[in-house]
Amino acid sequence: MIVLEPRGKIMGGPDATLLHDKLYEFIQQGRTKVVIDLSRIEWMNSTGLGILIQGYTTLRNSDGQLKLAKVTDKIQSLLTITKLVSVFDAYDTVEDAIASFN
Amino acid sequence: MMKPVIKCNRISIPSAQESLLDVDVFIEGILRGFGADESAVANIAISVSELVNNAILHGNKSASDKVVTVTISKSNDCVEICVTDQGSGFDPSNIENPTDDANLMKEVGRGIFIVRSLMDGVEIEASDRGTTVIVTKCIQ
Repeated sequence: MIVLEPRGKIMGGPDATLLHDKLYEFIQQGRTKVVIDLSRIEWMNSTGLGILIQGYTTLRNSDGQLKLAKVTDKIQSLLTITKLVSVFDAYDTVEDAIASFN
Repeated sequence: MMKPVIKCNRISIPSAQESLLDVDVFIEGILRGFGADESAVANIAISVSELVNNAILHGNKSASDKVVTVTISKSNDCVEICVTDQGSGFDPSNIENPTDDANLMKEVGRGIFIVRSLMDGVEIEASDRGTTVIVTKCIQ
């Protein structure tokens, strides 16, 4: 089980590369139950959403799962606009997200 | 690689995503000076980041000899931002709806859709000399 806590803004530069690389580092280690705590993300754009989708798909194909926790209002709004709210499991707390794996 | 050039209400950057942060700092600073609240600042900053990403990757195709220019102005409590690349243009009617079932799980293709959702107005002027996207948002 891994909990990622990215910070700042995810807009497509080094910020996005860091989240993508960290996520895949853990997947390659066989750690396929991942929670991303989004509470410290100020905002993200479609690049950030693309990374979440890529992670979700890769983990699912590896018999793993990606869960979101503490989604901010700004990101929730983007998930709703893009209908991705129907794709991701999102929880109010990290603890709830972790418990959902069991 | 050239460095970002700021002149009055305009920033010009090289066609590299490393420069996205320079544009964001520039735009957010001006928006706060205009009196925009934090929600408006974030919505506009997200939209500009989408447009600059598109200009770098799809317009200029990351060519080192091409720049992306962003200008910002305010009139009657509404902000107007222009993002211009030096690419060969594109047909906006070819943009697919990312919320269609067939596109929902695609990793890319949401940029313009998000911009249209967050901003009050979006105009795209495309030609073989480049593309300019003009977005407007009223902040009061």
